[in-house]
Amino acid sequence: MSRLEKMKENYNQIPIPKELNVRIQQEIQKSQRQWEEKRKAIQRQRFQKVIRRVEATAAAACILFTAALNISPVFAKEAAQLPVIGGLARVLTFRSYETEKNDIAVSVEIPTIEMIAADTKITADNINQEILALCSQYADDAVLRAEEYRTAFLGTGGTPEEWAQHNIKITVNYEIKQQNSDYLSVVIRGTESWTNAYSETNYYNLDVNTGELVTLKDILGSDYMELANAQIRKQITERQKAGELFFTAEEGGFTGISENTKFYINETNRPVIVFERYEIAPGSSGDIEFEIGGN
Amino acid sequence: MKQILYERLIQYILENQDRFYRIAYSYTKHQEDSLDAVQSAVCKALEAHESIKNADAVKTWFYKILINECFLVLKKRSRTSLSIDTAQQEVMYYEKGYEAEDDIEKELDSLESDVQEIIKLRFFEELSLKEISDITGLNLNTVKTKLYRGLKQLKETIQEVDL
Repeated sequence: MSRLEKMKENYNQIPIPKELNVRIQQEIQKSQRQWEEKRKAIQRQRFQKVIRRVEATAAAACILFTAALNISPVFAKEAAQLPVIGGLARVLTFRSYETEKNDIAVSVEIPTIEMIAADTKITADNINQEILALCSQYADDAVLRAEEYRTAFLGTGGTPEEWAQHNIKITVNYEIKQQNSDYLSVVIRGTESWTNAYSETNYYNLDVNTGELVTLKDILGSDYMELANAQIRKQITERQKAGELFFTAEEGGFTGISENTKFYINETNRPVIVFERYEIAPGSSGDIEFEIGGN
Repeated sequence: MKQILYERLIQYILENQDRFYRIAYSYTKHQEDSLDAVQSAVCKALEAHESIKNADAVKTWFYKILINECFLVLKKRSRTSLSIDTAQQEVMYYEKGYEAEDDIEKELDSLESDVQEIIKLRFFEELSLKEISDITGLNLNTVKTKLYRGLKQLKETIQEVDL
């Protein structure tokens, strides 16, 4: 049998070319990108379903919503604390709660937009309902996913102590990007500490004078696509020179924005276009932002 | 659940890539072909990850894909090398038996391909007979019989050489 052992030794000494890891990483990244896109598509469908459901019960929900806002102690407290900026609209925390069950911690802050000028008859109720539905749905789904993970973890020999060490945390929160007499821009994020795959970011940009959501076209004019694409291409070239990685067009990199491209409005009232992980660059680069300047 | 399996698969691939390469190399004996085989196996596995039924079967499932890819590469090569140059192959063949150390490898190569495969999986990859049976699709007893037959053949030829 020693001959066989000798052969095994030879076998284990087969040199591994460096290229192996490069090729495997390539495949993994390609696959992660496809997986991400597929998941996004499903999420969009589900989101649309939620919206439709919300619309169907809009009248009933509207009353409930207003009532909840009025009797919520959080509302009263938050309303007292938050300064009124710009004078027309403000963002409040509509609902905020923290729970922990089975070592799955959940922390949720759902924002709501309140139009202050009462006589304008502008309301943000539709947007608020959408936000509420979106946040609740995300938190519920995330808890289900974590529960599934827990069941699988314990079912494959993991102990409850080991599970507790995972420190699973689900967070839904928001960040105000801009709030002045022109715009209100809020980012709502849903994240799960144990996986990046389901992170969700939604942007709400409101023209406070009309109560309507603004589009890139509203801000940049009818040739907004050409304008933004040209600026993004220029910035990519500059950033590549500085060593940042972007996918090439063949790898599924930047090919141009669409009317659904996500953006927020920054403190100088300029739109900032955001691409999520894997959208135009390797996942390690995270979200990628481009400020689109005036001419 | 799917997400977890997917991430486990990626982890499994990253941790075992050297093993995959060695298996492929033992079949193709060629660096570029081995890289191709491993790469397309990884690609196919990731594409088909939803068909994994349980996490414990990832290993045998992946080996099955990988070995299949190795055969595809070999098939492709035999087609092209036939049309290109047969003389070159003969030279390679002659050189192979030159060093005494290579003999056992040559002997292994001369066994039936499924017997070879079983020996490699058992002794190089240290898989259990049950796992080999899952990978090859042969029943457990057949795997055993073939393994012992293969070992006997190897031993016999080894002895001949030794004498």
